Amino acid sequence: MAANSASNCILVGRSLLRGLGNFSSGILRSSQETTCNSFLAQQIRTFIQMRSNLKVVDNSGAKRVMCIQALKGKKGARLGDTIIASVKEAQPGGKVKKGQVVYGVVVRAAMQRGRCDGSEVKFDDNAVVLVNKQGEPIGTRVFGPVPHELRKKKHVKILSLAQHIA
Amino acid sequence: MRLEKCWFCSSTIYPGHGIQFVRNDAKIFRFCRSKCHKNFKMKRNPRKVKWTKAYRRLHGKDMTQDSTFEFERKRNRPERYDRNLTENTLKAIKTIDKVRSRRGEMHHKNRMKGKAAKERREARKEHDQQLHMVVAPGATLGSLAKDATATPAKAKVKVQQESEENRMEE
Repeated sequence: MAANSASNCILVGRSLLRGLGNFSSGILRSSQETTCNSFLAQQIRTFIQMRSNLKVVDNSGAKRVMCIQALKGKKGARLGDTIIASVKEAQPGGKVKKGQVVYGVVVRAAMQRGRCDGSEVKFDDNAVVLVNKQGEPIGTRVFGPVPHELRKKKHVKILSLAQHIA
Repeated sequence: MRLEKCWFCSSTIYPGHGIQFVRNDAKIFRFCRSKCHKNFKMKRNPRKVKWTKAYRRLHGKDMTQDSTFEFERKRNRPERYDRNLTENTLKAIKTIDKVRSRRGEMHHKNRMKGKAAKERREARKEHDQQLHMVVAPGATLGSLAKDATATPAKAKVKVQQESEENRMEE
């Protein structure tokens, strides 16, 4: 709620300025846009919970899935956890179809996760790799960086398929 | 164990400190503390923020080219342990540190060379330009006020006002 109201304020301020008689000063506008951007960037990232939309970063055929259950944790899933998801968007002719219920491993999460040495790691987006019930990946390729913590979670196959390991 | 450098302020990150952000193109940004991370999120350019190493290097505040910097290097192959080598290295670290700090001081000294003369020059200029502000030590506040009343400026103003009033009546 607070986030919404703040963004509204910014929008109102901008429209007011425009109404005040065209300043058309690039500096003013750019500064406002940067503040808006920084505000968006500082949004608080949270757990992957029911109804979270995740990108699918393998060639299983699904493009976007929605989390319907986190298999571990009270608040939700984090980086490296397994979730149950329903396929919302899928490519035609893929291994999985739209509406199917699948298992997935969270390989990228925007919420930071502590590492074993005490430092933290976070990613750009929320992404998932689809797996079967035994934990073997459905697709044959994995795109983008994945964390090395997956080794601890016994997903060595995903690690070996990945392009980059962070 | 590897000591990384902070992306924003270029300080050393010891194991277990800070946060790292992995962009989707797998570029890793490491930050030594939340201050640097927040500045990154605000899209600030470290070259334009005065307290970062990048700014200081760019603007000639710090020593940049020195042979003492060439010992510190990123090596991807672990060195085979050699007792003598380790001992010598540990000894060398101290001496190199000493040399570096001495050279840094010299750099700072050179940089601040003309500062005292410049300050004196500016002070003299200010003094010359603002001479009318200087009050003689014998002059008191009362005598200054008397001087002000003695001037015929007040009478002049009165005349002007009268003429204006006359015009209004007409």
